[in-house]
Amino acid sequence: MTPISIASPMAIPPSIDALQIALDRVRRERLRSLLVMLGTLLVLGTMLPWLANAYWTKTFSSALALSVAAAGVGLLYGQLGLVSLCQFALLGVGGWVALRISHGSGLPFELCVLAAGLVSALVGMLAGLPALRLKGLYLALVTLMLAGGFQVVITVVGFPDGGPGWLGRVEGGERLLMARPAVATSDSAYLRYVVLWLAAVLALIELHRRTRAGRSWALIRRGEAAALGAGVNVLLYQTWAFALAGFCAGVGGALLAGGVGQLDGRAFGASESVMLFALSVVGGVYHWLGAIIAGLLLRAVPALLTDFNVNGFLAMVFFGAALLHALITAQEGVAGQVLSLLHRVRARWTAGSAP
Amino acid sequence: MPDLLPFVISGLGVGAVYALSGVGLVVLYRSSGVLNFAFGALGALGAYVAWSMLESGWPQALAWAASVAVAMVLSLAYGRLIAPHLAQRNPTIRGIGTLGFALVVLGFTEWFWGEQPRRLVLPTDAGALELADVRLTYTRVIGLALAVAMMAGIGLLLARTRVGLKMRALANDRDLSALLGIRVLQVDTVAWVLSGAFAGVCGLLLANIVRLQATLLTFMVIPAFAAAIIGRLESLPATVVGGILIGVLEAVAIVVPGLASFRSATPFLVALLMIAFHQSNTRVA
Amino acid sequence: MIVISNLTVQFGGVKALTQLDAVLDHPVCGLIGPNGAGKTTLVNVLSGLVQPRTGHIAVDGTDLLALTPTQRVRFGLRRSFQTEQVVEDLDVWSNVLAMLDHVPHERAGAKAEVGRVIDYVGLAPVATVLGARLNLFQRRMVEVAKALVGAPRLLLFDEPGAGLTEQEAVFLRRALLGIQDFCGAQVLLIDHDVDLIKATCTQTLVLDFGQRLALGPTQQVLEDPAVRRAYLGTEE
Repeated sequence: MTPISIASPMAIPPSIDALQIALDRVRRERLRSLLVMLGTLLVLGTMLPWLANAYWTKTFSSALALSVAAAGVGLLYGQLGLVSLCQFALLGVGGWVALRISHGSGLPFELCVLAAGLVSALVGMLAGLPALRLKGLYLALVTLMLAGGFQVVITVVGFPDGGPGWLGRVEGGERLLMARPAVATSDSAYLRYVVLWLAAVLALIELHRRTRAGRSWALIRRGEAAALGAGVNVLLYQTWAFALAGFCAGVGGALLAGGVGQLDGRAFGASESVMLFALSVVGGVYHWLGAIIAGLLLRAVPALLTDFNVNGFLAMVFFGAALLHALITAQEGVAGQVLSLLHRVRARWTAGSAP
Repeated sequence: MPDLLPFVISGLGVGAVYALSGVGLVVLYRSSGVLNFAFGALGALGAYVAWSMLESGWPQALAWAASVAVAMVLSLAYGRLIAPHLAQRNPTIRGIGTLGFALVVLGFTEWFWGEQPRRLVLPTDAGALELADVRLTYTRVIGLALAVAMMAGIGLLLARTRVGLKMRALANDRDLSALLGIRVLQVDTVAWVLSGAFAGVCGLLLANIVRLQATLLTFMVIPAFAAAIIGRLESLPATVVGGILIGVLEAVAIVVPGLASFRSATPFLVALLMIAFHQSNTRVA
Repeated sequence: MIVISNLTVQFGGVKALTQLDAVLDHPVCGLIGPNGAGKTTLVNVLSGLVQPRTGHIAVDGTDLLALTPTQRVRFGLRRSFQTEQVVEDLDVWSNVLAMLDHVPHERAGAKAEVGRVIDYVGLAPVATVLGARLNLFQRRMVEVAKALVGAPRLLLFDEPGAGLTEQEAVFLRRALLGIQDFCGAQVLLIDHDVDLIKATCTQTLVLDFGQRLALGPTQQVLEDPAVRRAYLGTEE
């Protein structure tokens, strides 16, 4: 293989015109992919509420709220190879915080969501810090233990529903629903609102991936030697990823609470965190589309099966098989397969139109 | 000071099952490097098979045998058909693969039998032993005896037999063992089958002690993991002690005011404390 | 300048380095020795991956062993590994920029710095190609680029020429020789290719079984009979 450049390394001044052109091209492509992402979400935000009936509007709201959480799961696994089996518990934490603040103080919805995100980020970070010193499988187990613990606690404690005190539970009175944001009280409007938050969170993650954080994560992914050799503070960047994933879960939880109005403590078992992880992998962890697909798989597909009178548990069989398939062959998940299909179609199209 | 003995004895029942599950998990992990998240699901399926057979009037011994056999066959099927496709990947991914398998088995079980909770009533529930004011059904006695026998058996297998020696070699260094001429697939098969047997027995016992419900039984693998963590995923004696400890503490927590409703979090708490004390010395993954 | 005094590294019962003393003060120094001599161990100690049992190392007057691996990188220590560590999903530019991220540098000048280094190693035409699509030579040059970016003081290259063709090795040679003028950093080079060592290194340290066998001007060292016996082999 001949060296690609025959210029002497001592060539001064360097000619960087071609380099500048290539860098500009990369920047344009990145901008374009970001616009594609925002455009897709814009289309979803306009089309879904318009096409869906009342039941499906609420289903999509829940599904896309879970997509926010799935984005965090995908971040941890796709960027760092870290398996966190407690993200649904963190979603529960976020939902709890949002509900308590909303009922207790009547603060604007956005602040409740942000507070939920920040608290979940903090909890995720604190829980993750000791675990991050351990290796992969142990991290999965520790997070599973945390999910199990949360399951017990939340079943006993329940979610706030308008009552007083720390726990905010109403005794023998009417349980309140969470107040919706002023701009989005109807179900259709709320669905669009959720899509907005999803766009913001996905953009935040993309921003990370394209800057120093993403490069550092890539080095850590390459191996400890590569990361240490580049002076990367591995613990810092792993903790930051954990915090970011926690933020995603918390925001998702708040959005879920706002959509449904109340959350049931019995619906936050460790199995939910396991399913969230499984379907994030199936959806695809290396691309934002994967998070959207994961949310749809978690809520929309079961609803669809119910519509067609198919037993929901067959969906679970299918999801398990899909997870195995994703691990063994299609590691980019459904998103990856959709994208490569689009790529092939576009290649055929442009090839066909060339004279 | 309330009389703790009944709770301790009751906790021993569940604790023995946790210990047994933990041992089943650790033996498989050490031999094949796979942490089997489907352990509970296999047990659940086996328990339902036993339930169906008992409902159809088959004798109890056959129902038990069929239950364990089903778990063993499915465990072997995964181990020989699917696990090899992930054999080159890191332990985390190989564990996640079993997660997929768990979903498949759980989904099938709930689809076939329905999700409503049932009771697995065994004929041996009828008679009981009276021990210090605690009534131990014959099932529990058999369960305890079986647990002790199986754990002792696996200990003997690993320490005294050739297969056990090979399993320990594989656990130590898989590639090196292969180079030394140990038939890795053969030993793998034994490990998966044994683990399946443990899963089957644990599923039956748990279904009898708690209730017969697929999701519940599947995710009771989590306390089993807690026991395995206490054993640091390598020491069988420590796993046994850990499992029993978890079971007893969980039962005794009923008498503690305020903590009673949270007592099912005991396995997780103990496991987390264990990990906190044991930091980065663990050589996992 | 590297000053090594009384360095001992032990792995269990194996003494990888035994009471090593050496002063390396030429711009490009070679480190040679048979397999298992302790060359990579020495580089691992320098970069912080291995803790020595005893001894001191001073680089340009600074006590190196008192710094953590991350601090050493910020101090100006860079190394390449025997197996290249190029990140597959990042392009060449990002691979080099990832290195610059963690060393002191001026925000405004980052782009110019990365461009300058990439041009020096001749990778400007493939700057936006993903790591996964690079051939071995390009990957090795990415490693060199990563070492040069920022303001490095000491570059440790562990067999940078392994697997390269004759033509590619010539290019690497020229790149190594130009480093002193390019950024003023000292280079410590491990390689089995004696021609490469002869062509680039003015001073060479020879290790054998963890001990110093010879240290001095390269030509002199290579003609030392003890070195020939241990490393190059004598004709019986």
